[in-house]
Amino acid sequence: MAMGSYICVRLLHALVILALVTMLVFVIAQLIPGDAVMAAMASSVDMNDPAVVARVRHQFGLDQSILVQFSNWLTRYLTGDWGTSIGTGQKVHAMFIQRLPVTLELFLGATAWSVMIGIPAGIISALKRNSVVDVAVSTGTMIGVSIPSFWEAIMLIYLFGVVFPILPPSGYVPFAEDPLLNLKSMVLPTFVLGTHFAGLLARYVRSSLLEVLSQDYIRTARAKGLSERAIIVLHALKPAMIPVVTVIGLAWAHMLAGAFIVEVIFAIPGLGRMSVDAIFQKDFPVVQATLIAVSVNVLVVNLLVDIVYGYLDPRVRVNQ
Amino acid sequence: MDSNPDRREFVLGFVAAAFGAMLAPQSAAASGALRDQPWAVWDYKNKPVRGGYFRTAVERYIGKMNPNHWPVLDWISMNYFHERLMLTDGEYKPVPWLLEELKFEDPQTVLMRLREGVEFHDGSKFNAAAVKYQMEWIRDPKSNAWTAAWLAPLVSIDVVDERTLRWKFNVAWAAFAGVMANAPGFAMSAAALQADVEKYDSEPRGTGPYLLEEASPDNFLKLKRNPNWWFARASGNSEMPYFDGIHISVIPDPAVRLANLRAGKIDALTLDKSQYAALKDDPSVTVYRLPASHVNALRFNTTKGVFQDVRLRTAVSHALDRKALIAGTQLGFARLASCMFPGDHWCHNPELAPVAYDPALSKKLLAEAGHANGLTVRGYYINTTMGQTIAEAVKNMLAKVGIDWQVDLLPATALATRMQALDYDLASSGWLFIHDPDLMPTGLYHPNGGFNFGRSKNDAAIALIEAGRREIDFDKRQKIYWQLEKVLYDAYEDAWLWWEETLVAYRKNVMGRDHENLLKYKDVWFWSHPLWFKDGKA
Repeated sequence: MAMGSYICVRLLHALVILALVTMLVFVIAQLIPGDAVMAAMASSVDMNDPAVVARVRHQFGLDQSILVQFSNWLTRYLTGDWGTSIGTGQKVHAMFIQRLPVTLELFLGATAWSVMIGIPAGIISALKRNSVVDVAVSTGTMIGVSIPSFWEAIMLIYLFGVVFPILPPSGYVPFAEDPLLNLKSMVLPTFVLGTHFAGLLARYVRSSLLEVLSQDYIRTARAKGLSERAIIVLHALKPAMIPVVTVIGLAWAHMLAGAFIVEVIFAIPGLGRMSVDAIFQKDFPVVQATLIAVSVNVLVVNLLVDIVYGYLDPRVRVNQ
Repeated sequence: MDSNPDRREFVLGFVAAAFGAMLAPQSAAASGALRDQPWAVWDYKNKPVRGGYFRTAVERYIGKMNPNHWPVLDWISMNYFHERLMLTDGEYKPVPWLLEELKFEDPQTVLMRLREGVEFHDGSKFNAAAVKYQMEWIRDPKSNAWTAAWLAPLVSIDVVDERTLRWKFNVAWAAFAGVMANAPGFAMSAAALQADVEKYDSEPRGTGPYLLEEASPDNFLKLKRNPNWWFARASGNSEMPYFDGIHISVIPDPAVRLANLRAGKIDALTLDKSQYAALKDDPSVTVYRLPASHVNALRFNTTKGVFQDVRLRTAVSHALDRKALIAGTQLGFARLASCMFPGDHWCHNPELAPVAYDPALSKKLLAEAGHANGLTVRGYYINTTMGQTIAEAVKNMLAKVGIDWQVDLLPATALATRMQALDYDLASSGWLFIHDPDLMPTGLYHPNGGFNFGRSKNDAAIALIEAGRREIDFDKRQKIYWQLEKVLYDAYEDAWLWWEETLVAYRKNVMGRDHENLLKYKDVWFWSHPLWFKDGKA
């Protein structure tokens, strides 16, 4: 199948999945006891005053039937009106647009760290297999994967924000406003988020490279007298990266969960923090918008991974 | 309601206080030429210096900046750009602020005189027409003001002259001054409301010492000095406010907020009690301990189940070692509670002593009530870290006298559901920001109260609550609430545990904080005595 047709088919599948996810999320959210109005007003406003509660519920359309709520929401969503956050009072679309670049920057930075650390570490580990270096790198990556990100974050804040105050302890400054301060403020959060995946990545790179290096064609290349460096760079690295690309893609897709912790600790106004706040507050409009965004993110990333996959290994062109 | 004061809780309690204030009677008259007020003393050892941006941190972003639109999540920040018609003093009594005088002509009519020379941030005048417009706007259903219900007794507002209004109510509304000290009392520019109400949610126009400079949702709020602040002129302190502005960072994690304070990135912070140890010997910071008008308690279901028996309620109350609870869960930073009103509140009955820890008495009472072999009761507590700690401690104390408290840790929504369904015997309770005295008793003990749902039906208490709402004479009203406390205390209606305290840390270069007078006058002192930086720099 030509690549173009393949992408179209995948996009169609994605839309169907999106629609199902959307409906499922909406229904499940309605089944959970209580809503954002109850959660927020339970401790603060007279629950026995129907006028106050009814006014707020009506304001957010929570007094309609589920079907009506879903249909209203879907119609508005498709026309760009993603509703109003019950937890903050802001328009959901505006919240999203404000926070998306922040989280994207966090993801890109984390991916950069994980690639910068993970791939070289994995390569070194594979080439120096069973040596002291291999053990050291493997231990390091294991520690990177195991350390809880909230602990790592707080330790780094105290180290570089308080004890040796060379970086801001928390907060976010947009790049357009102050590029240097933006980069400084994102060093620690991206590092924390990146080190987890770096460990994972290193292990994948190591095992993938080892597998490739054991292939016959590599033995042939050695027999032909090619240098080890040439063998690695020209023949081994590219096929070894195939599963690694998948891992990077999957990691990106799932980074939102880790992003929440990092965004809360470092006080970064991103999508992760917004999402979890919304879940705890039963802020349905935000939850729904976020879930759709996450689904789109996963679907798009998987599609991109498949395309890159095809490029890296011509044998894996889509053939349906 | 778990009383673990942080900013989110501040919001909830502020709202609760405002709502209850609507229902409560209030003193007959409150008046004040500014310079005649006991708190109007600015006798500084060091001359205030202008300059610098004061930096602080909060857990959550403010949300909407129209105090009558929901949600508002940071009322402290709200007070920087909006001011109220009334503030409260050291005993939580309303005192005029934007008002010069508030006088009851009769229990259902109030004459209100506004301060002279006050302007909104958009240059429009703070006058009788503006106040009238604002209040009518609040009451208009199209405005979606969640505070509309609090003005329910209001019949009409008449403009008498440029600075005078006559308010008429459909009942004796002694709580009126209390309401004006809360959310509906924040003065908003009528011109701005008329021009664009939606815009007001993010671009407020109050009368406060600071104007909104920049807002970045979930990130920060930046305010700049109001050079035309009326209070500077009226008080004769023309340089007020002294800071060039205020920068409020949103930092959800308390450990990170502390890190920012220690790194010198913020100048003041409300601390978690556990953070006191880390800061008490820090030479760059001063930590202040303040009483807070919050109470932490346990509520009984006195209309269903075993706690209809006052002996069992008494047994529970005496089984609790309140001193140990304070020492263990609050690290010593709380005051033993005798009843619901904090010790510094004007409605606190000074003759009531905290319930004594007496497990032997508890066991005796349990046996008398037919539970010599033990008693199993059900309940819930709010599912927070502090909630879990307190619930565990109380559970252990009750177990020692033979009471098995099967307590579920619940989030707010599930807790509200159980509370409404009266699906408990013993559960978490309390109140935040106890200002006007009617809100809490109504909420907890009146059939129409927002947190009762029929779990308490003490007829003597109900009669006193209703009497307190109508009584506009201050002394008589105070006696009513003292009596109310005694009635609830004698009936062991609830188990009151402690009154809260707050810890606030300031960097040493922040000047002007008079802790003694702040304790004496509280709210009105805080807002009338702005701080400054030594040398005018952060």
